[in-house]
Parts: sequence; C-alpha cells; structure tokens
Amino acid sequence: MLKMTHLSKVYRTEVVETYALRDFNIDVKEGEFVAVTGPSGSGKTTFLTIAGLLETFTGGEYHLDGIEVSQLNDNARSKIRNEKIGFIFQAFNLIPDLNVFDNVEVPLRYRGMKAPERKERIMGALERVGLASRAKHYPAELSGGQQQRVAIARALAGSPRLLLADEPTGNLDTQMARGVLELLEEIHREGATIVMVTHDPELAARAQRNVHIIDGQVVDLAEDPRFHTAYTAAAGQVRG
Amino acid sequence: MQIHPILAALRRHKAGTLLIALQIALTLAIVCNALFIIHQRLAHISEPTGVDEPNLFVIENLWGEQYSTEEAAAKVQQDLATLRQLAGVADATQSNSYPLRGGGWDNFITMKPDQISPTTDSSIYLGDEHFLRTLGVKLIAGRDFHADEVQNMGLRQNFVPPVTIVSKALADKLYPNGDALGKPFYSMSDKPTTIIGIVDRLHRSDVSTWSVPFANESLVWPVRDAQPWGVFYIVRARPGQLDAAMREAPKALYAENRMRMISPKDGVQSFAQIRHLAFESDRGMAVLMSIICLVLLAITGAGIVGLTSFWVGQRRRQIGVRRALGATHRDILHYFLTENLLISLAGIAMGIFLAFGLNLWLVKQFSSQLLPLVYVLGGVVLLILLGQGAVFAPALRASRVSPVEATRPA
Repeated sequence: MLKMTHLSKVYRTEVVETYALRDFNIDVKEGEFVAVTGPSGSGKTTFLTIAGLLETFTGGEYHLDGIEVSQLNDNARSKIRNEKIGFIFQAFNLIPDLNVFDNVEVPLRYRGMKAPERKERIMGALERVGLASRAKHYPAELSGGQQQRVAIARALAGSPRLLLADEPTGNLDTQMARGVLELLEEIHREGATIVMVTHDPELAARAQRNVHIIDGQVVDLAEDPRFHTAYTAAAGQVRG
Repeated sequence: MQIHPILAALRRHKAGTLLIALQIALTLAIVCNALFIIHQRLAHISEPTGVDEPNLFVIENLWGEQYSTEEAAAKVQQDLATLRQLAGVADATQSNSYPLRGGGWDNFITMKPDQISPTTDSSIYLGDEHFLRTLGVKLIAGRDFHADEVQNMGLRQNFVPPVTIVSKALADKLYPNGDALGKPFYSMSDKPTTIIGIVDRLHRSDVSTWSVPFANESLVWPVRDAQPWGVFYIVRARPGQLDAAMREAPKALYAENRMRMISPKDGVQSFAQIRHLAFESDRGMAVLMSIICLVLLAITGAGIVGLTSFWVGQRRRQIGVRRALGATHRDILHYFLTENLLISLAGIAMGIFLAFGLNLWLVKQFSSQLLPLVYVLGGVVLLILLGQGAVFAPALRASRVSPVEATRPA
C-alpha cells in the first residue's frame, strides 16, 4: 500500500543542507495499522507530509497503492490525495466557516461527485462517527472530541485506501482520546490501512505495528524484540 | 460549482462582504450615470455645425462712435467690402451672432399668430446675401437671399422680415411632411414669414444643455445688423490662408476706420477657438466625471484587493487544508474568483437600483435624460471585470499555498 525505498528529504539553504529523512525505508501493507513514533525533530511529520503527498521528497522512491508518485504533477498529486488518502490532523483542521455537513463534503466536492451521492456518503460517515444529529452545527459548537470525529468522518467519506493520522488525540483529553482511538481501531478492523504518527506510547501500543524514527531513519520495532519489549513495557507503565 | 459552501462561508463574514458589496453598488450607480454624462458631453462637443469651420473666423467689431442705424449700416457695408478685397479672404458677412457663440437671439416659433404653446424654439441669425456662402452652409432647397431683400435693423427696431431661410431640422419640425418650402410660420409676431430656402444644417448659436433637443433649429433673416454698439464680421478665408487672413483683417479694418475696438485678446477668433471655448464646460465635466469614475474604480479595486488579501492571509491554513483534501491550484483560484463574483453580483444587484434611483433624481433635479440600459449593462461588465481583475493576484497567491500548511501549527 505504502512503500518508501531509500527515500530522502533535504532542506537546503545557501549554507547548509539538513536531512529530514535519510535512506528512509518503510513498507506498509494493505489493512495494517502502523504507528510511527519518534522523538521531536526525528522526521515523523516530514514522513507524514511526504506520505500524504503534501510535500515532495528529494531522492529515492515512493509507491502509493502501486503508483510511483515522484514524477506526478501537482494536479495528479491532488487527485491521489483526494481519492486515495484520508487525513486526520492533530488540530482537526475543520473549516470554521462551514457546518459539519459542509466540512465533510469538502473533499467530495473536489472529486466532482454528484449531490445525492455526496449526501449519502456524508450522512453515512457522520452516522459512522455518531454525529449525524450534529450535521448543521459549526465546529465551534462542538467539543474537541466531536470535532476530531467530524475530521474522521471527513476522512472516511471519500472511502480512502489509506488513512494518515497526525497525533489524532494530541489535542484531546484522556476520555475523548480513548473514544477517538476506539473509533480508529474499529475502522481498522473493518479493513482500513492506517498510518498514525504519534509520540504517545499508549496510542502507539494499540497499533498493529510500531515504526520508530530516529534522525530521519526507520528503526522497525516489530523486527527488533529488544526495542519491542522495552517499548511495550513503557506503554504498560503509562497505561498503569 | 462551490457556490453553496462559498455562500455559507460568506454568511460568517457579513461585515466585510457587505462593505465591499455596498462599495460595488455605489460605484456602479455613480459610474454608469457618470459614463452616460460623459457620453452626452462628448456627443455635444463633437456636434457638427454645418459651417466651414476650418476656414472661418469671426471679428467682434465694437464701434468707437455712436452711429445711427443708417450710418452703422453704411459702415458695415464699407467694412465688408474692405474684408472681401483681402487676398486671403474668400467672402465675408455680418451677423448678430454665429453658431456655438453661446447665447444669441432665439424666438419661440408658432404655426399660428395666436398659438399659445410654441411649436418649437429657433436660434435667429441676421444675415445678408453673403451669409450662406461665407459660412459654407449647404442650401438644399429654395434660394438664397437677394441683395434687395436685406433690410437694416438698428437700435430698438424689431420686425419679422417676410422671407426666411431655415435649417432642415427646423423645416422638418414645422412641416414634418417635408413640404416646408414656400410655407409660412410665425416668430413672436402677428406677421408671418415665408420659408424661401432650406439649408442642410446650421447649428444654433447657444450651446447650453437645455437647447440640445433644438441644437440644429435655426433660421436666417435677411437683415443687416446696424446696432450702434457693433457687429460680428464672419470671414471665410481661402483654404490654407486662415492665419494670414486673421492677421490681415483687423489691420485692414483699422486702416479703413480707426474709430472701432477689436480686442487684441479675443476680438478675432478662429472657429477652432470658438468651438474650444463653446464646449469648455462640457469638456471640464467630462474630465471631472472621468476622474471620479477612475478614482471610484481604483478605490473599489483596492478595496477588493485588500479584503481578499486579508482573507487569503487569514485563511492560509484553511487553504492548506483544502489543498490537502484534494483541491488543485485551479480549485483554489476558482474559489476566490467565484467568491468575488458572488459579492460583486450582490453589489451589482443593489447598484442597479441605485443607478436608476440616482438617474431619476438627476432627471428631476437637473432635467437630465433617462439612463439607457446599455450604460447599466456596461457598468455591470466593468465592475465584474474590475472585481475579477482585482481578486486575481491575491487568488493566485492563495492557489500557491502549499498543502503542507495543513500540518503547520495554528
């Protein structure tokens, strides 16, 4: 589903080159729930923005759902973002001027979908996250957890092949975070591929597989039992 | 189309939207009326007179002595003979006035002596048998005056001569069937005058706005202007000799008789100067209206640029989110262009009512004409183009916002 091979991202200024990702390799299979963890500045967000085609990369290869994306122009990248990727952001990123219904509708409009189908999908997605009754509410009238559920509904409405979540519970209290996480797990159980960037060990522990990034490179915890044990223990402590 | 979500978003920004819409409405109302006024003034300025303007000049001759009617008439005859002898002069005549002079003599015209409501109003020129030839006016029916038909008119003398030459516009107004030649009419007198000739076009002497509907309604009476204070000499130079004739004519007149005053400043004027002076206020009004239009359009354009730039800055993250969710550069560009179009259309809808309201007020207060729809349509197109033009640069900036903005901290 998502495969990056020897991928690099370099930020250049006149005097210095900074590698955000270096020889970065990751392979996420269809239907996996992968948590990407790492300390601040490790390259997690850069990975997410490249994975979501929000940013270009400097070298290497990136295949998304079998498509090599490095040569795609902006329109083609926009189309893939719209049709194949669902985004869940830490700050929800709902459009404050639009009500819940219209927010969920945004990506569907860019797909050129007809109104009846849009309505059906929007209401289906809102029912899925338990907010169908709030369709006419504005984001400011909802709690943080509800806003994130709307964002998840927006991501789900387009039936994406891949869900990319950036610290989805980062702005939520524990109870709301638990609700959002359970929703993501439920979506995963139904067959969705989810890649979630987080530095919350508890959240990471709930994923099927953890990928750790340090200094722009991947350390796959699932393949290193020492790290895996240490990490799950840490997660257990946090939970306890 | 994204109209519904754009309208939904605009409803949340009522103040800015309403202000720009009102500005567009006001601009439309003023601009279409101003464009109409400009067009009217320019049409007025370029009105043809029917005379040989490139070769004509006028001398305002004021007598330095008090003459009787007969003496003044003799002096005029003598002066005309002097002028006609000049090498650069093709012909010369005298008159009480000339086209575009601004002012002059006009009478109500009736078809019956006791008619209360006049049929029309006509400018009155006093001219001799050289009048038509000197002015270069084209006689299209009937005949010119004979020398023996020309009478002297002095101080406090007022009569209507038995024969008249009229402009085609006046002939058609009096006799719409085209059979005016040989027919009579009355000019504020119980004695009729008969039309013996019709000229193609002869502009009135006054140029004020009220006279626009009668602009070409004028008549010539076979009368020698023998007023004690002075007379206008209208001189037609030979082609290419205008400047020389204008220099020589006053010299020749002074050589003939020094007891006169011809102002060195504006006593001798070419017809180009006369036309320039006649329409000075029209030109001024057209320029003023143009400046007002440009300033208003510039302010409105700047307002749209300012508001859209502010909104683009304010919505940078939102634009990033839209891009992340699949919007292309073009989608974002269209979003802002459509948003502006909707605001412009709202402003235009209000502006159309305002434009006609303003016009009705102008009609009532200043006897202006009703605003033709074409000016409103022109204004609408202008405002839409202005709006789309003004919004384009900030919209283009918005379309270049990277989708990665969606992941940046708020």
